Amino acid sequence: MNKEDIISSGLLELYALGLTSPEEQMQVEEGLKLYPEVRQELEAIELSLESYAQANAIEPSADVKNKILAQITTGEASNTHTEEKPKVHHIPGEDSKLLHQNIYRIPLFFKIAAAAVLIALIYSVILNYSYNIKYENVKEELTDAQKKLKENQQAAVAMKDQLNVISDKSALPIVLKGTTKEPDALAKIYWVKNSGDVYVDPTNLPEAPAGKQYQLWAIVDGKPVDAGMITTKNGIYHIQKMKSFGHAEAFAITLEKDGGSPTPTMDQMYVISKI
Amino acid sequence: MPETKKYSEEELVYLLKERDQSAFSYLYDNYSAVLYGIIFKMLDNRELAEDVLQEAFVKIWNNFSNYDSIKGRLFTWMLNLTRNLTIDTIRSKGYKKQSKIQNSDNSVNTISDNTNTAESFDALGIRKHLTLLKSDQKQIIDLAYFGGFTQDEISKKLDIPLGTVKTRMRTAISELRKALKN
Repeated sequence: MNKEDIISSGLLELYALGLTSPEEQMQVEEGLKLYPEVRQELEAIELSLESYAQANAIEPSADVKNKILAQITTGEASNTHTEEKPKVHHIPGEDSKLLHQNIYRIPLFFKIAAAAVLIALIYSVILNYSYNIKYENVKEELTDAQKKLKENQQAAVAMKDQLNVISDKSALPIVLKGTTKEPDALAKIYWVKNSGDVYVDPTNLPEAPAGKQYQLWAIVDGKPVDAGMITTKNGIYHIQKMKSFGHAEAFAITLEKDGGSPTPTMDQMYVISKI
Repeated sequence: MPETKKYSEEELVYLLKERDQSAFSYLYDNYSAVLYGIIFKMLDNRELAEDVLQEAFVKIWNNFSNYDSIKGRLFTWMLNLTRNLTIDTIRSKGYKKQSKIQNSDNSVNTISDNTNTAESFDALGIRKHLTLLKSDQKQIIDLAYFGGFTQDEISKKLDIPLGTVKTRMRTAISELRKALKN
């Protein structure tokens, strides 16, 4: 648009009245920058409207000016520069409506402090997280160690029991020798005479086949009496406590089906002893 | 326009950009009455109009860096800012409540009812020129300039075509310009 078009279009009047659309406003402002004549024309329109407004002027109360000056003075002192809501300071008798528009500004120091606290917090959370992982690992290791210790303690107790039996002066060691079926087999019995307790050490028996189990027999008055089952599973070959006998002529071990039999299977006798 | 001219508009703008408080005091002395007249015309409530006037001048001071003299006269900028602030007040809940209590009508009626207000003032002896304005031209200037209504809104309110609104506006302004030259 050239300057004549802008002036004759009526846009300047609308612009002065604040009625132009954003596009029209841009057109007018472009014209204002380029042509002094456009600027002059607008000024004449504005002046005519101002004179009209001036004709409608009313003097406001005298105290309004003081309120405004007090407001901008305190505003300058704290160097605030607000766009929408000005900072309002209390003046006696002032309308409380404006007081509600106070804006409380956060000093820079507090902003920095808040940022520092936030960073510290994030760092702390990361540390917590990594320490927690370490803690979990250590806890797991400790549990494992405790478990092993318990196992060792149990083993130690078992070994002590065995030692007690072997070293007991009243325990009578009886060696059960291999029969013709299994000449190399060997078992030991410790018979504690004063209590009648019988312990068996099956260390040198061959491993029992699946579904089979060794059974200890005591020969009392010429008859075999069940003296209990021997556990040889899972490689557990340690001294086991059997049934107690006050009197027996001999002991024998036979291989029976799992859980034992009421009478010994004689051809499955592995070891036997005489007292 | 200011009667006791101490600063030119150029000087005044320069000083205000420098945040000169005595220039601001001068600005208030020269423009408060005319801005207050417009706010009062729109709100029809003295106390509320003074609140808005106070708010407007504080905003003029705080936002002065936004004023660009290339885009128009200082008064036009201040008037637009004041008018927008007043329209915001009219649209706020508090104002609606108050105007109900006062059994007042809406802003449009306030303006059309008060179209003769100008006659009760004889600021700068302009009144006699204003009588040159026909009432329909005056009405359109009042609605647009004081009421902040868009051309479309004026067209609907007065039930006249948009083209007529524009023509009347231009005629009214050229009448005002003629009056000023005399």
